Amino acid sequence: MGSVDRPRPAKKTAKSRRKSASANEPEFVQLLTPEGQRRSHPDYDVNFTDEEYRGLYRDLVITRELDAQGTALQRQGQLGLWPSLLGQEAAQVGSGRALAPQDTVFPAYRELGVQWCRGLDVISAFSLFRGVDLGGRDTVADRFQMYEIVIASQTLHAAGYAMGVAKDGAVGGEDGEAVIVYHGDGATAEGDFNEALVWAGVFNAPLVFFCQNNQYAISEPNARQFRVPPYQRAGGFGMPGTRVDGNDVLASYAVTKAALDRARTGEGPSLVEAFTYRMQPHTTSDDATRYRDEAELDYWRAKDPILRYRSWLEAESLADADYFAAVDQEAAAEVRELRQRVMDLPDPDVTEMFDAVYVDPPAPLRAERAEAVAFRASLDEGSES
Amino acid sequence: MATMTMIKALNTGLRHILEEDDKALIMGEDVGRLGGVFRVTDALQKDFGAERVIDTPLSESGIIGTAIGLALRGYRPICEIQFDGFVYPAFDQLVSQLAKIPNRSGGRVRLPVVVRIPYGGGIGAIEHHSESPEAYFAHTAGLKVVTCADPSDAYWMIRQAAASEDPVIFFEPKRRYHAKAEVDTAAASLGLHEARVARTGTTATLIAYGPTVDVALNAAAAAAEEGLELEVVDLRSLSPIDWEPLEASLRKTGRAIVVHEAQGTLGMGSELAARLSERCFYSLEAPVLRVTGYDVPYPASRLEDDYLPNLDRVLDAVDRSLEY
Amino acid sequence: MGQQITFNLPDLGEGLTEGEVAAWLVEPGGEVKLNQPFVEVETAKALVEVPSPYDGTLAEHHASAGETLDVGAPLATFEVAGAGPEEPSGDKRTPNLVGYGAKESGAKRRRRRREAGAASAAPSVPEVTPPAPASPPVPEPPAPAAPAGPALAKPPVRKLAKDLGVDLRQVTPTGPNGTVSRADVEAASAGRAPASAQGERSGVAAEERLPIKGVRKLTAQNMVASAFTAPHATVFLTCDVTGMMTTLAELKDRPEFADVKVSPLLLVAKAVLLACRRHPMINASWDEAAGEIVVKRDVNLGIAAATPRGLVVPNIKAAQDLGLVELAEAMGELVRTAREGKTPPADMAGGTFSITNVGVFGMDTGTPILPPGESAILVFGAVRPQPWVHEGEIAVRQITTLGLSFDHRLVDGELGSRFLADVGAFLEDPGTALLAWT
Repeated sequence: MGSVDRPRPAKKTAKSRRKSASANEPEFVQLLTPEGQRRSHPDYDVNFTDEEYRGLYRDLVITRELDAQGTALQRQGQLGLWPSLLGQEAAQVGSGRALAPQDTVFPAYRELGVQWCRGLDVISAFSLFRGVDLGGRDTVADRFQMYEIVIASQTLHAAGYAMGVAKDGAVGGEDGEAVIVYHGDGATAEGDFNEALVWAGVFNAPLVFFCQNNQYAISEPNARQFRVPPYQRAGGFGMPGTRVDGNDVLASYAVTKAALDRARTGEGPSLVEAFTYRMQPHTTSDDATRYRDEAELDYWRAKDPILRYRSWLEAESLADADYFAAVDQEAAAEVRELRQRVMDLPDPDVTEMFDAVYVDPPAPLRAERAEAVAFRASLDEGSES
Repeated sequence: MATMTMIKALNTGLRHILEEDDKALIMGEDVGRLGGVFRVTDALQKDFGAERVIDTPLSESGIIGTAIGLALRGYRPICEIQFDGFVYPAFDQLVSQLAKIPNRSGGRVRLPVVVRIPYGGGIGAIEHHSESPEAYFAHTAGLKVVTCADPSDAYWMIRQAAASEDPVIFFEPKRRYHAKAEVDTAAASLGLHEARVARTGTTATLIAYGPTVDVALNAAAAAAEEGLELEVVDLRSLSPIDWEPLEASLRKTGRAIVVHEAQGTLGMGSELAARLSERCFYSLEAPVLRVTGYDVPYPASRLEDDYLPNLDRVLDAVDRSLEY
Repeated sequence: MGQQITFNLPDLGEGLTEGEVAAWLVEPGGEVKLNQPFVEVETAKALVEVPSPYDGTLAEHHASAGETLDVGAPLATFEVAGAGPEEPSGDKRTPNLVGYGAKESGAKRRRRRREAGAASAAPSVPEVTPPAPASPPVPEPPAPAAPAGPALAKPPVRKLAKDLGVDLRQVTPTGPNGTVSRADVEAASAGRAPASAQGERSGVAAEERLPIKGVRKLTAQNMVASAFTAPHATVFLTCDVTGMMTTLAELKDRPEFADVKVSPLLLVAKAVLLACRRHPMINASWDEAAGEIVVKRDVNLGIAAATPRGLVVPNIKAAQDLGLVELAEAMGELVRTAREGKTPPADMAGGTFSITNVGVFGMDTGTPILPPGESAILVFGAVRPQPWVHEGEIAVRQITTLGLSFDHRLVDGELGSRFLADVGAFLEDPGTALLAWT
């Protein structure tokens, strides 16, 4: 199982006093408590088969393990960086499994779990962070767009795409197409995000804004990004907003499904705020000890999405030790294969810099390409640079 | 064949685009019911409907960002940024997204988006309505940038831009919007990225684009009375630049003068001077000179005649060139 | 038998450059599974478990507990069954928030391959098609033979040609890419065939024959007629024209003169006109046939102009009646028109007094030849700062030499001298002269 580095005990205790165990819990939709107790909610429920319930566990564990590999590979010099989703598995698996096959996803850059749930090859995330390419993929066939590194930029793309879906007449009924765009708490401060809400609202686009509020935009907390939580801001733009316990895979599933169904049937856009926590630093080279302390991490460890879910599965006899072991083995196999594939990724050829810039490359660029190729070819291989 | 203003030529071109391509859309502020603040999109919403000619929120980044989304969905949006000075809120979507997404995708994704921008000064306007930001976009790999100088080019180039599979920034010289000329809608005479020799000559080559082509032609006419035969080349495409006709002209005349409204430092003239000096070094009788806007923000309208390159400054530059 | 792979201390994700081995979790010889933590490393901030990059055996520790290692230094050696996976490259880069981190920049140039017929010495056509790597584009297409059309030469060579009065188009180029070289120009100027680098150029003629026609023919006729009919004498006056230069600067600032060229020549012209009024006999001509000296009322002031087609002396009719601004305009117009070769014949005829400006060529003075029908011509040379006696002391003043050539049949030395003295007096102190004489 992936684990979180345990820092040695903090010498200073001032920070530790900030977050006490009796801090008020936020208001959100929850169907499964951190202790693994099932709860009911007047508006949301999940009724899966046993198989489907077990399937969620498998998704959660494999997501966690694939993500842990990202961190490990970076530590081993195989990736330039890795933005870990540790702690956010439930938000991604819950929402990811709520998507219908005809729906389209606009990710940010931390949505490995959604990618996995869509049945897509996750190698593109690794090739991006390894630096062999820029994350290209067949966005049409996959119905999954490229990772977007400019914060909130994808919210406008998603709004336009959703407008296109409506234009195509693909909205209405159970078979309608919905579009989901993933973004973080930091993104809600960007102009593009706010403009996207305007457009989605004004054009009644079939779009779900899925905000993974993991409490931090690098080092800055929510209080720096909004006075009013994202789920309440949605109302100002003319659409419903719902906050869900992002560490509760069942609630995440239920709330996202409802939002997607609204969109696909033509009732328009909405915003889902998944209240969760980024257990690891922003990326592998961030030093999170500069802005948060061990007490806060402990608080959130107690809300771990997988522990609570496993507890519940066990309590309900939906899964046994054999099942959990089998999932661990499957995860290990996935990881092993992924590692090898990442390390086998070939370095790009110099021509790749030139060949996708334009559909119709102009003459000066073709000449430059030839120059670059000739220059490379003229160098003695293996000589020092 | 018909005589029409540049506005009418653009309007006609857009109309033909909408007729011929179901996926073409027009989107921008006030383009629909109003028909555009310059009437370039006049009557198009009436005839093609609000689903195809879209009045957008006042949100430039939104216009380009959603156009990208629509293009990802298979549409071919033709966006309008209402005035040059208002393109900047959309800068990130233009240079980080529109320019890069096809490259980022390794060639799997195409964004056939056109962004129309009325630009340039000489219309007595208030601040921010007379800018020439073309260099920022010509500098950005992944975009193509073109500009029409007359009604005939306006008609054909907007059609060609809409047919391009690459994103095109289409600059329209607003001070020439009401210029009239014959437009033959039967056949285009040039490709989108070809330069045109607008006037032949032997003494020196004036290189201009958009609003300054007219200035250059007038300067050439005045110079002819003094016995100087100036060649005028209309660049038409700013990215990519069509170097062949420029080089051929410079080899013939040995002297080049670039004329553009944009501020001189790091404007299009800088690239032209650098590349032509490199490629035509042995043919140069004089350095490549540039007649441009001064390196100041575009001034209050009552000073704009001093700011804008005019016939006299162009001919002074020709004189200077001849003194070498 | 397995492979031995040494694993270096990685960056631990915090941009730090070293770490202390806190505790080994696996002893040498112990088995490790992939990603199993095998050592604890302490940094300033945290205790980090390092996951094993391999399945296999931990063969050797390279540091003991408590020892501090640099990032990139060997940490442990693993024995891995079969061919192990690739080691990460030995780049010592410190990762940052967004990537691998900066490479150290080397100061060594990379070696180039030496292949037969590889990258070009020969120039190639600029346009290259993508698939085949080709030699880098070169500015000009090759043209070993003398090119048709304008000459090709780089700017310093052009300047040399201009300074030496060599027409580049007449020079056979022997430089690279069909260009005219510096040597070509120098040889052409000296009238020799150039010693060419390629050694195969002979056949440049020893002399070149140009037909006598046009302006050249006419000028020659006039020069001969004048020089061998009118006996020429010349007087020279060197004077201090600092006053004139000061006055010029003041005039330039005046709004009346905003649109006209204000140059020393303008004031010289004005001086001449005033002096003509004081000495009307200068503005006359010798009519041998009628047996009369013709004294003219109007000073039709000619200004000698060098044009691409040759020397012409167009004149301004009745220049004495023009105010200074009008005179400046007329002079500017005259020179402009002359340079374009568009001077109307009427302007070429009827001149009564001319000025020739050799100062623009850097000359001090000269002995000009009279245009036909005129009795005097003023030569105006360069104005230079020179030491002078000014108010009893040596000072640096603006000095010029004026020369007046005249037809000694009707102008004696006294008249010529007095005339020239007046011109000098005006230039020395324009304001006072003007007041005294008008």
